[in-house]
Amino acid sequence: MSKDSQMRAAINQKLIEMGERDRLKELLRAKLVECGWKDQLKAHCKDVIREKGLEHITVEDLVAEITPKGRALVPDSVKKELLQRIKTFLAQHSTL
Amino acid sequence: MKMEDMSLSGLDNTKLEALAQDIYSDLVEDACLGLCFEVHRAVKQGYFFLDDTDQESMKDFEIVDQPGVDIFGQVYNQWKNKECVCPNCNRSIAASRFAPHLEKCLGMGRNSSRIANRRIASSNNMNNKSESDQEDNDDVNDNDWSYGSEKKAKKRKSDKNPNSPRRSKSVKHKNGELSNSVNADPYKYNYNTGINYETLGPDELRSLLTTQCGVISEHTKKMCTRSQRCPQHTDEQRRAVRVFLLGPSESSLPDADTMVESDCYDASDGQVLMSRLQWDGSSDISPSDSASSKASTNNSDSKKPKKKKTTSLGLNSTGGGGGGSGSGGGSSSQSSLVGLSNRKKKPKLPVPPAPSIYDNLN
Repeated sequence: MSKDSQMRAAINQKLIEMGERDRLKELLRAKLVECGWKDQLKAHCKDVIREKGLEHITVEDLVAEITPKGRALVPDSVKKELLQRIKTFLAQHSTL
Repeated sequence: MKMEDMSLSGLDNTKLEALAQDIYSDLVEDACLGLCFEVHRAVKQGYFFLDDTDQESMKDFEIVDQPGVDIFGQVYNQWKNKECVCPNCNRSIAASRFAPHLEKCLGMGRNSSRIANRRIASSNNMNNKSESDQEDNDDVNDNDWSYGSEKKAKKRKSDKNPNSPRRSKSVKHKNGELSNSVNADPYKYNYNTGINYETLGPDELRSLLTTQCGVISEHTKKMCTRSQRCPQHTDEQRRAVRVFLLGPSESSLPDADTMVESDCYDASDGQVLMSRLQWDGSSDISPSDSASSKASTNNSDSKKPKKKKTTSLGLNSTGGGGGGSGSGGGSSSQSSLVGLSNRKKKPKLPVPPAPSIYDNLN
């Protein structure tokens, strides 16, 4: 197990070092805006805030409300494409 | 940790898949967090709800999704089906076509056939000076074209209006013919308008012939309105036309601007030329003669009749024949004296080749 975790850490490190992680992040953000995911989630935020009251809203509240919904709302095409890119990266850089 | 332990190749697919999934979910969570921070900041700074208006206004400007209506609720073709009655011709016209119809109906727009109207008006009163008033008024509205001094015998240079629907296509010109048979109307603003000589009086004919080519086309029986040096017609034709229209004794061809481009004929023909000053009734023969001679002559000869201006008959002398492209420098001095007689020389005479230039050609 520790090997796995070590390995994961190493891979993550490599991802960051090569700049691939940032590229993937930007790609994901762009795609989510394009498909309307961001607007959907923002509307949900509005509801949450109206519910909880404008003055008393905290980051934790928001995160707790938004994250599960956000994860669920990601369209399949976006998910598939991102997974594909990650796998490609792993395949290219399998030997560390 | 040794590097060999870290190799992924030893992993099976499921683990690889799981790894990818983990990385992916990390990325998504990052995105969500980013959004949360953004919203939280907007709330705390007070600009989160700024783009919303109150409920009432929201309802007013809601997107409309009904058939026949655009998203603002306006009807698109509301005026299309309505009809108006034209005050001029009392016809019922569709609203969207009303303005162009009025333009044509009243004859006052840019593309309306004012000329057609003018022609109709003027054909009622031929050669009547009172017409000019009417036509001047008409042309006051005309911004495109300024009214020249001559009413009918006007030089219509290429005054093509590219927007006019009446613009006729110009066909390639053939020699001696007006190719544009579509345009039978002498007063349209098209390029190859001709004048019908039958309708013109002798004075007008004369003035016309001083400025224009005037050769009568076989096709359309109209006079060519191009300049005196138009390449379609030869001087012979021009001379023939003038004789035909004005009589043999008339000399209506202007000398001032015509350069005798003819190559110089030898001085030996001078006397013969002088005798030919009297333009007898043989004018009818000469064009055909010259045509045949043109056809049969070789290079050097064939150039001359083309260039030669059939200028006046009972001539006053003008400047010496400067010689066209053919004569060149050498012969021009010679021809200054002969130039006088050159003009009167009939094309019937066998033309000796020009001294210097054409010898080389031959």
